[in-house]
Amino acid sequence: MLVEVVQAVVTGLLIGLTFAVLAVGFSLIWGTTGVVNIAHSAFAVLAAFLSLVASRQWGLDPIAALVGLVPLFFILGVVLHEVLIKVAARRTKELGLASMIFTFGLASFMENGMAYVWGPGPRVLNTAYTGAAVHLLGISIPLTHAYGALLGLATIGLLYGFLYHTFPGKAVRAVWQQRDGAALCGIPLHRVTALTYGVSIASASVAGVAMALIYSFTPATYMVWLVNVFLIVIVGGVGSLLGAAAAGLIVGLVSSLSVLVMPFVWTNLALFGLLILVLLVRPSGLLKR
Amino acid sequence: MVNRPRDWVYVFGILLALGLLPLAQPSEYVLSFLYFLFSYAAMAVAWNVLGGFGGYLSFGHVTFFGTGAYVTGLMLVHWGWSPLITAPLGGLAAALLALVIGYPTLRLRGPYFTVVTVVTVLIAKIVVLNVPLTGAAMGLWMPFPPWDPFTSRVIFYEAVLVLLLAALLMARWVQHAKFGFGLRVIREDEDAAAAIGVPAFRLKLGALLLSAFVCGMVGAVHGYDRSYLHPDFMFDLHPSIMMVLMALFGGRDHWLGPLVGAVAVMITDELLTVYVGTEAARMLFGLLLIIVVLFLPEGVISLRLPKKPPRAAAAGEGVSSP
Repeated sequence: MLVEVVQAVVTGLLIGLTFAVLAVGFSLIWGTTGVVNIAHSAFAVLAAFLSLVASRQWGLDPIAALVGLVPLFFILGVVLHEVLIKVAARRTKELGLASMIFTFGLASFMENGMAYVWGPGPRVLNTAYTGAAVHLLGISIPLTHAYGALLGLATIGLLYGFLYHTFPGKAVRAVWQQRDGAALCGIPLHRVTALTYGVSIASASVAGVAMALIYSFTPATYMVWLVNVFLIVIVGGVGSLLGAAAAGLIVGLVSSLSVLVMPFVWTNLALFGLLILVLLVRPSGLLKR
Repeated sequence: MVNRPRDWVYVFGILLALGLLPLAQPSEYVLSFLYFLFSYAAMAVAWNVLGGFGGYLSFGHVTFFGTGAYVTGLMLVHWGWSPLITAPLGGLAAALLALVIGYPTLRLRGPYFTVVTVVTVLIAKIVVLNVPLTGAAMGLWMPFPPWDPFTSRVIFYEAVLVLLLAALLMARWVQHAKFGFGLRVIREDEDAAAAIGVPAFRLKLGALLLSAFVCGMVGAVHGYDRSYLHPDFMFDLHPSIMMVLMALFGGRDHWLGPLVGAVAVMITDELLTVYVGTEAARMLFGLLLIIVVLFLPEGVISLRLPKKPPRAAAAGEGVSSP
């Protein structure tokens, strides 16, 4: 029993890290610009498909493919900001709700575009190390989980360095904390928010590859990932990087530990219950200062 | 909003005339297309009471649709009661569920409420998939309606037409009653509404119950028409999205908006699906959603209704010109 619990804790933490990296970008955009970007996880699924294409066509390892994917998705993020978000911010009164609708339109556009190109069926990312595992003190760690979690950890570490130790990163945090105040201090809001979108969508591409290492995916998978992202962001507090990281670990633990005490089909119910409970008790996030 | 007292005469006149359509022996295709149009329109009109007037965006109304279908379906299977008669009970069950869901969650605002509505659909799907009573993953088989195909198309057509008329009358009443004014004040600024004595929570809950009731009745009729219920399509997010799209596309500030939106969206959807395929059609809908929110936030109907009453517009210009 003890071994099973330890195994569940380890798996939960590894999965939690990959979910956390998917959530941080979403949280950053929501916090700094008030946009609830439903299409965030659709970008992650797109990255998963592109890494699949790279490995099928050129035999590239998905993690190596990130060298191309991250800059590409950074540009996509900036384009998203320049084309859609700026117009929306100018034209709509309630950006939170309006953005949920039009980014949903974008996500549905992307989902069906991917289904059109790659078909709606489930895909699996096969790598040289798929199926291999490290055995340690009676527990086994699949290498895909380990690499996914390492990618997550590295990305969160880089984002932490960026947000807390570089000037542009501090500007992003300033805009999150007090938009008008930041503008008064001479921070160029447009450039900072464009940068936020670039960083956020780039992190979504890493998350997409990390998730694809662990799970199979279809164009419609973005909805499943999105629910987890919402859960993490709401538990961790909107806009908070470390909150999202901690909440990702909590969510991973809850989902892997609940398998031990209840049938597999009900585990999602436990997560949804947690989400509603947190919303009702502390809508601003459990971990927010 | 300018009052056009004759609009509703036209609308109800056309709908009543459509009620006589089966006498002309139209093809089953036409009846079936209009049947889908009317059932979506009824739900969009009902959705708009909370989502449009009240500004509480719900992607969860398909839960009420599915609840109505399952409750009346179970009554048919176990007791032999026809869903066409028990439809109001299905609506009541949906409203009851709306009360259970809405009582705690309507305190949430903006995106938080919307997230919860999405999650309720996912929860409902898991529960129905795993409870033996509802047939679980096998689905629920009902006895077929005892009529020949054409008669049964006519009966279901008339049933949803009646529901659409009822939904329109309800939405029109809400819009012109104190209820509707209260809801719109809540949409503009909920704290200010509460401060001037609008019972915000009661109005929101009332709007949710009304719209859930209509969706439950439509679900009851639709479930009987299919004769087979499965959570994969009775608790699918897509119909919810269609309701929202129709209401926003038509115009959420007027009881007629969702009907206009439903007609436009259903005809476009049918043409696109037939001529370019489902995926391309849904891609175009995604783009349409973006365009509507950004460039036509008050919907198509705002093209016909003057934006401001002439006098207020003139006064507004007077103020803004130096």
